[in-house]
Amino acid sequence: MKTVKKALARNILWHFSLLLGAIVIIFPIIYMFSASFMPLEEVFSTPVRLWPSRPRLLNYSEIFTKFSLHRYFLNSVVLTIFTLLCNIFFCSLVGYSLAKFKFPGRDILFTLILATMMIPSNVIVIPLYLLIRSLGWVNSFWGLSFPHVIAPFGVFLMRQFIRSIPDDYIDAARIDGCSEFKIFYRIIMPLSLPAIATLSVVTFVNIWNLFLWPLIVITSDAKKTLPIALNQFLSNYANDWNLLMAASVIATSPILLFFFVFNRGFIEGMTGLSGLKE
Amino acid sequence: MLRRIRRKSTKGVGIKKAERIYGFIFALPAIVFFAVFYFLPIIKTLQISFYRWDFLSPPAFEGLRNYVVLLKSSEFHNSLWKSFYYAFGTTIPIWFIALGLAVLFNRITSTSWLYLVVYYIPVVVPLIVACIVWQIMYHPSYGMLTLITRPLGFVDIPWLTSSRLAMPSIILLSIWKGTPFYMVIYLAGLVSIPREYTEAAQIDGANKYQVFRHITIPLLKPVILYVIVISIIAALQVFDPFYVMTKGGPGSATRVVTLFVNETAFQYLKVGTAAAASLVFFGLVLCLSLVILKFFRSSWE
Repeated sequence: MKTVKKALARNILWHFSLLLGAIVIIFPIIYMFSASFMPLEEVFSTPVRLWPSRPRLLNYSEIFTKFSLHRYFLNSVVLTIFTLLCNIFFCSLVGYSLAKFKFPGRDILFTLILATMMIPSNVIVIPLYLLIRSLGWVNSFWGLSFPHVIAPFGVFLMRQFIRSIPDDYIDAARIDGCSEFKIFYRIIMPLSLPAIATLSVVTFVNIWNLFLWPLIVITSDAKKTLPIALNQFLSNYANDWNLLMAASVIATSPILLFFFVFNRGFIEGMTGLSGLKE
Repeated sequence: MLRRIRRKSTKGVGIKKAERIYGFIFALPAIVFFAVFYFLPIIKTLQISFYRWDFLSPPAFEGLRNYVVLLKSSEFHNSLWKSFYYAFGTTIPIWFIALGLAVLFNRITSTSWLYLVVYYIPVVVPLIVACIVWQIMYHPSYGMLTLITRPLGFVDIPWLTSSRLAMPSIILLSIWKGTPFYMVIYLAGLVSIPREYTEAAQIDGANKYQVFRHITIPLLKPVILYVIVISIIAALQVFDPFYVMTKGGPGSATRVVTLFVNETAFQYLKVGTAAAASLVFFGLVLCLSLVILKFFRSSWE
């Protein structure tokens, strides 16, 4: 009886401490949501208000009318989807080649691709800008997206996964007269779906957050992506906190939405660990 | 062996050659991509670092002058110091807090998974959003943090506008944003430790602390080493919060190397100096990672 009580007490303490930690951790996010519904005078009240007296939905229409957030949002969506599709295709293709084919220089190529993960973007950003400039791609979608269509991490991930697919599938398809490219998209791609899901999560988060590169490449307002536009918003409308928070909510919501639906895939994908939860 | 025989009997030598060609064709996009977007740029950076250039007029060869300038530049020294201050200021607390939280979680059940999802939210929130929200929370008179500081007797704390507090403020934001990520990695390491080990030690009369110190920590060493190296490398490359929240200021209190390089190249148009600075820093980061790896390998094995 005593041990049961002790276990119960420990369980309650465990829940209590984790709950307390959770509240502290998501406090800024809760504030972001609540302030996005406040009228301006409530944001600037002393003592600080935690909750709007009456939710002001107008904030959300104002960020679109006053600040045309939809344009930047759309730019980010297009960039993310395009880059994501390219990454899925190319990383799988290259991963397949590195995992299942033998050709001279294959292992060196793989090592070199792994080595690129060590290169800070800081070091290559100047020549990359020069390259884009010489192609006439400054302030264009291609200049923005091209350096991100293949990610070294994605190639590594797909290669590791495709290695675990038995050769028999490929051999059988070859005997049946399947063309090499057809083997790739009819057999390898469908079998790699779990890895493609991981790749998608990581690419989605990375591209949605991209900051330094669009900051350098994009020069016109119409082509800005969401993070750059938000930064602009912060410097131009520094005092419209409620609108800033509403814009932040809009920028966060796609990721947060996907995260709540596919939380396991997100956490496993981003940390590079699989099978976290049975 | 069996597979090799079967392959030979079905397709013979033809497959070998076809395999080579197709393997190469499929890898071709990557060969071109990584050459153009990673390796050539690195070489180009090295080349630029020997020139004086402003993006427009013809570049003038200067030999090692950019490196000499950096060696003497107190601005660059300051940015190096700020980068390492930020990196260690952020990562050292993260190592301990993340480990503590992972131990608190201890296991992954359906209930704890629910907590884990909530704890992980800061990681998925876009960094720019985190910067904006924290910048507002740091406001001296109307920020959310006044709810905590005012009852403690501190009024109008200039979080981001005082040269002493600006860096710690960004560090606090980074700890908040980064800790859950490393917590999950620790947690995966903890979960993979077989229960028998800790239970056996407990049966032998070891208390909780002893089990943690002498069983868990030694078994967790590879994970700890991984977290230490990865977190430092990641922290040394952080750019966004400095650009968004402080622009390196006040003064040069938060001008880390990434910001220094960016400003030198794209604001002051000293492209050669910026290229040299980025390479020097890259070299330092590589050396540091090697030293850490070596240090922990030798002291732990």
